[in-house]
Amino acid sequence: MAGITLKNVVKTYGPEATVIPGMDLEIRDKEFLILVGPSGCGKSTTLRMIAGLEEVSSGELYIGDRLVNDVAPKDRDIAMVFQSYALYPHMTVYKNMAFGLELRKTPKEEIDSKVREAAKMLDLERYLDRKPRSLSGGQRQRVALGRAMVRSPEVFLLDEPLSNLDARLRTEMRSQIGELHRRLQTTFVYVTHDQTEAMTMADRIAVLKDGVIQQADTPKKLYNEPCNMFVAGFIGSPQMNFIEARLEKGEGDDWYLNSGALAMQVPSGRFSGERLQKYAGTTIIVGIRPEDVISVDSHRYKESDGLIRGQVQTAEMTGAEVYLTILTSGGSRVMARVSSRIMPQVGDEITLAADGDKLHLFDRETEQAIR
Amino acid sequence: MTGKEKKAARRVLFVWLVFLAAVFVAPILVVLLNSFKGQFYITDEPFRLPTAETFVGLTNYAAGIAKTGFWQAFGYSLFITVCSVGVIVLFTAMTAWYITRVKSRPARIFYYLLVFSMIVPFQMVMFTMSKLANMLGLDNPAGIVFIYLGFGAGLSVFLFSGFVRAIPEEIEEAAMIDGCNPIQMFFLVVFPMLRPTAVTIAILNTMWIWNDYLLPYLVIGNKYKTIPIAVQYLQGGYGSRDMGALMALLVLSIVPIIVFYLTCQKHIIKGVAAGAVKG
Repeated sequence: MAGITLKNVVKTYGPEATVIPGMDLEIRDKEFLILVGPSGCGKSTTLRMIAGLEEVSSGELYIGDRLVNDVAPKDRDIAMVFQSYALYPHMTVYKNMAFGLELRKTPKEEIDSKVREAAKMLDLERYLDRKPRSLSGGQRQRVALGRAMVRSPEVFLLDEPLSNLDARLRTEMRSQIGELHRRLQTTFVYVTHDQTEAMTMADRIAVLKDGVIQQADTPKKLYNEPCNMFVAGFIGSPQMNFIEARLEKGEGDDWYLNSGALAMQVPSGRFSGERLQKYAGTTIIVGIRPEDVISVDSHRYKESDGLIRGQVQTAEMTGAEVYLTILTSGGSRVMARVSSRIMPQVGDEITLAADGDKLHLFDRETEQAIR
Repeated sequence: MTGKEKKAARRVLFVWLVFLAAVFVAPILVVLLNSFKGQFYITDEPFRLPTAETFVGLTNYAAGIAKTGFWQAFGYSLFITVCSVGVIVLFTAMTAWYITRVKSRPARIFYYLLVFSMIVPFQMVMFTMSKLANMLGLDNPAGIVFIYLGFGAGLSVFLFSGFVRAIPEEIEEAAMIDGCNPIQMFFLVVFPMLRPTAVTIAILNTMWIWNDYLLPYLVIGNKYKTIPIAVQYLQGGYGSRDMGALMALLVLSIVPIIVFYLTCQKHIIKGVAAGAVKG
């Protein structure tokens, strides 16, 4: 079993196209790390460099203690699950799973036992004699997982394996993959653009933008302590609200936020006074997640919470919750996720509160979090 | 169009297609019927069915086989056709795979040269080619196989390339990770997936190589007679030609190719359809 280390790894396609300008990442042994980010951010490229399917332009890539920059994919002791499954269409399920072991001249009995064991774990025993074209999407994905499993690799690489599945199947497969990780106790590196997948499955998530890791941390920390606006906006659905507000110094150590949408005192103790001093009298960005825009009737509401007053623009009922878009008196739009017990109509005037304990502050220029 | 009109239109189309089929099949039927008639009756009444007077059974077949050394010619035709088709399918599949996957300027230029070779008429190169074949010692059944490879490469590479492009590269990447080297990748993963196209190309090349007269005549001459050449040597005294034996030999020469085509017909359709879907 092995961790993965990337030391200043760079990937370029010619002089004008640098996809990864320099990545440092440490993936621990047995960790389930997810690379997440928008399309074109370099997450698949990073995965493919780990697999050996893309050359590392410069820098060092280690699997365990081995430098693998020039090692062929078949010698890296990795297995990969592709977005399109990449099953061999002319081979049966059994043969698809056995193929890698046959190439390594594994004894027939051992191949048979490993394939059947994996098939049992993935509920594929009935399909071993079938060809991929007669399987459903979910079954094919399980065959792809089985093909990876039988090799008992040091590292599992998964490139958006669930994106071709429907929503119900995706949820089902997510838990299967999680269960697989727990059983196999192997390092998993998983790529997705779906932040919900990332949040539910990962030990740690690395958020990428333009080939640069913005933040690599546990899902909880990424959610509660995003290091910049990009991470804050990317993680969490619906996206965090960003409101421009002026930071004013009050008496003593009190600080106040003033904007057309929101006026409130900055909760004491959450932000460093020294850091806030730097932004005194300037406009900063206030981040508040829709689920932290609460009803004034809510048990979470405190007097110190800032009030948001405005007109309901849209109200989308999802069952237990309602997503509201509010046009504030300051002209900005704020999204709220509240209980469906509050069911305002479009056009209604509404007053909600921003939970001060869940406030995030960001530098308007650098977009970095102010802590 | 109403239901009745559609039915009527379909009937008209059916009759027209039957007529067209009859027009195409008629020459073969005429040859077949005349192969059982005495040679003097063939030129007089070529379209008449054999009667008790004109029917000679298998006499023409026996005469034709005896006069031309048919079985030896059959052997040469079979050897040249099978080997040429095998070599064409194998090497052009490899070439198409390489050209499609290696995205480089030389590969692209090579592809265009191969495609260009399809439009060069045979008559332009036939004399220099036969001289070159003679100089290189290719003027024998084994040597002519490589000449057929050259002539068959253009179309075959063109057809294979289209199909290879449709194979997701991820399958090859998966094979790479599983442990395939390039040779294993081609024979164990890529070539089996190219089977429908390979069969189509094999059929197309079989048909033109089996029936080819000019290239074997120029390159291997009458030293190693193939069936079309053997048929041409069916001469009697004073330049006369045994028409009965000729008809019989023509039937014998096309029977294998018809059997081959009927056996592989569904593969042609599968190959063309699969190419269309993937395209």
